[in-house]
Amino acid sequence: MNKVLENSLLKEKIFWQRIEPGLEVFVLPKRGYNKKYATYATRFGSIDSHFVVGGEGEELVVPDGVAHFLEHKLFEEEDGNVFDRFAKLGASSNAFTNFTNTAYLFSTTANFYECLEILLDFVQQPYFTEESVEKEKGIIEQEIRMYEDNPQWRIFFNLLTALYNEHPVRKDIAGSVDSIRLIDKEILYKCYRTFYHPSNMAIFVVGDVEPDRVIEQVAKNISLRNYDQLGEIKRIYPQEPKTLAKDYVSMELVVSQPVLNIGYKDSETGYDGERLLRRELVTEVVLDAVLGSSSRLYNELYEKGLIDDEFDAGVVSEKEYGHTIIGGETEDPELLYQRLQEGIGRAQKEGISAETFEHHRRKMMGGFLKSFNSLEFIANNFLAYHFRNINFFTYLDVLADLTLEEANHRLSDHFSADNQARSLILPKKAQ
Amino acid sequence: MTNIRRKRLKNGINLYIHPTSKFKTILVQLILHRHLKEEDVTACSLLPSVLQRGCGAFPTRQQLAYKLEELYGSELMADVAKKGERQLVSFTLDIVHDQYLPGEGDLLRKGLSILREVLTDPVLEDDGFKAEFVSQEKEQHEKVIQGLINDKHAYSVERCLQEMCSDEPFGIFKYGSLEKLKVISPASLYAFYRRFLMESPTDLHVSGDIDMEEVVSLVEEVLDFERADVMNIPATLVKKDVAEVRYISEELDVNQGKLVLGYRTGLTYADDDYFPLLVYNGILGSFPHSKLFQNVREKAGLAYYAYSRLEKHKGLLLVSAGIEVKQYEQALDIIRRQIEALAGADINDEEFNNTISGLRNQFLVEEDNPGLIINRALDGMLAGRDEDTESLLSRLDAVTRDDVARVAEQVELDTVYFLTNKGGAQQ
Repeated sequence: MNKVLENSLLKEKIFWQRIEPGLEVFVLPKRGYNKKYATYATRFGSIDSHFVVGGEGEELVVPDGVAHFLEHKLFEEEDGNVFDRFAKLGASSNAFTNFTNTAYLFSTTANFYECLEILLDFVQQPYFTEESVEKEKGIIEQEIRMYEDNPQWRIFFNLLTALYNEHPVRKDIAGSVDSIRLIDKEILYKCYRTFYHPSNMAIFVVGDVEPDRVIEQVAKNISLRNYDQLGEIKRIYPQEPKTLAKDYVSMELVVSQPVLNIGYKDSETGYDGERLLRRELVTEVVLDAVLGSSSRLYNELYEKGLIDDEFDAGVVSEKEYGHTIIGGETEDPELLYQRLQEGIGRAQKEGISAETFEHHRRKMMGGFLKSFNSLEFIANNFLAYHFRNINFFTYLDVLADLTLEEANHRLSDHFSADNQARSLILPKKAQ
Repeated sequence: MTNIRRKRLKNGINLYIHPTSKFKTILVQLILHRHLKEEDVTACSLLPSVLQRGCGAFPTRQQLAYKLEELYGSELMADVAKKGERQLVSFTLDIVHDQYLPGEGDLLRKGLSILREVLTDPVLEDDGFKAEFVSQEKEQHEKVIQGLINDKHAYSVERCLQEMCSDEPFGIFKYGSLEKLKVISPASLYAFYRRFLMESPTDLHVSGDIDMEEVVSLVEEVLDFERADVMNIPATLVKKDVAEVRYISEELDVNQGKLVLGYRTGLTYADDDYFPLLVYNGILGSFPHSKLFQNVREKAGLAYYAYSRLEKHKGLLLVSAGIEVKQYEQALDIIRRQIEALAGADINDEEFNNTISGLRNQFLVEEDNPGLIINRALDGMLAGRDEDTESLLSRLDAVTRDDVARVAEQVELDTVYFLTNKGGAQQ
């Protein structure tokens, strides 16, 4: 019998099952949709670069960018590539790697169960050859070069190198042109054996499908492969000090005007689950109240021409690290920085009012409901939260449970000068 | 299957209703059409930002933002787009459906009322818009125009189109020019706004779990502002002979070169041969199984992205790839050989069949996104092609390889644009 997660406000149900040896499968039926979307993801991202190889006891440090490289190469098969098999069925397939996870996915309007079988098979059957690994280096080098010209990407990673001294979150997800040259098929296989065991993975399917049939099909595919049990994966992260690596970093690029990002590093980390979700949501309420589109500060800055409507604030809450980033393009990054300091200081002194707090909570509730139009949003987020031991369906309950005191405490505690770094992109001067 | 219901409102706005129960939201989109021309384009793209600064009932940006957020985070977004030689200004209202909000019952009416206020009751001063709003938004708009260069991919595509269509309206940048921006005054922008609101052909789309009759009476009541006869918008220039291929290269301090090739097809969404062209484009470059991805990326390892796409109202096809600067000749050669292969009907079964299946998938998933549902209706209206998914699918299934070979003959290279690094000029 499958288990059920339900949310009465959303009017959605998720059917789920844990399949031996430890794969979790979730199915959310969306009646009336043509598209069916499935994602098969692993807890293996760019920060997992130091670990004990599964079943071997060897402690290994791998070149930066391995998780992303492996993602590219898993599409290769002995007799061609997986894209073609999905294409024949009219499906479109893709994958992505971030700091903590890698996800393989497809979407289709026809032949869903055949596509699901292909997804299950290719993710469980690596085929790496020296030749294809070498060829991929040229492609990934161009991917890295593309991001090198992207000011948003550069300012973000520059900021992370300021916030973090040791933690691998400070490194580019794709690695560097130099680090990927060190990758070979042996390294890929070692990573694969460590992180692609079913007990480190999960599947999410959403669309007009039959939950029982999906779960049964997954169970059957997995059971035929005779997996051994995998013990706990030993990931080794460096001890990250609470202090910043730097408080300022800048770079010149071909841009029309400067860009400013300010980051605030979370010092209290090491937990996940509902407590982590709570921290994330309370930070979001605070950001929206103090810096959101209807805030006094945002509108003062906008009217002064110091920010544009792309100015944004966001929060990242992982078990191992967490930070908040605010910023955008500006003609005067020094003045904007000053005004933000003053404005945040003022907000800390005045505190968020009960009315403002309720207002932003209500807005976030609406935003959450709206996002459930998108199958991709549901599946990708559900798994991203699941991997942090959070049930995404509790979002609205946790939001409703937040208190004004918590919000004001977070506001005064998190946005302090000691855990704040600045990253700037400045226009390259014409030669 | 989506079915559209239409009605012309008393003031001449064309109402399109897309009833569907599968979404959590109601999406409202008001679209005003203008002819893309030098003297109007800048004012037209600046205008929505000025209107969003406030209105009679909510006279500041902050009050307006707060009011919208109060409706469970409703959003009012303005956008400027170019389809063929039309400039389209859209105001989009994205609202949570009441049925997910216990105790709520009137969000659509409240949202539409704000839209009407923003559109028809701007903050005025002397003989024009409030001067402060206009001067601040002019500064913001200047940055938008200059900011194109921050996204090198978008920049390279736009630059190719500008060069290729330099003597056609289509070559006009949708945000206009700094020269025209400078001379806009609160009074001149207000005068333009009056004409804009009165005479632009205007569509109103509403998609969601809604009742036709209720929505008709609601919008008749709320959006009842006065309008004049709508202006006529000239047809887009589609057929143009290419005398000689133009090669443009531009130097910037970049890490990756961007190669963009502009082709003319002479075919738009209004032509029945558009469907073979769609298949042509699919075989060439819109999927991972396509010739460009397979040959430029997978076989030669030259690029991370290499794709083609159509501009369906202007009859253009664009090829775009991000490459190492020194591999310009090799990449250009591989891309041209893919076009030649198609012209020589060198298409295998797999490429053909996978493309048809992939395109079927694309048509079907459009029905799962309220914005795409509206966009398809808009494209259909512009091209006089009023067809539902079933009919589009049957047109697709009827395409043969001979059809693809026939349209391949019409695809003609016009401009090769290369964004390269300093000292990396190719010619």
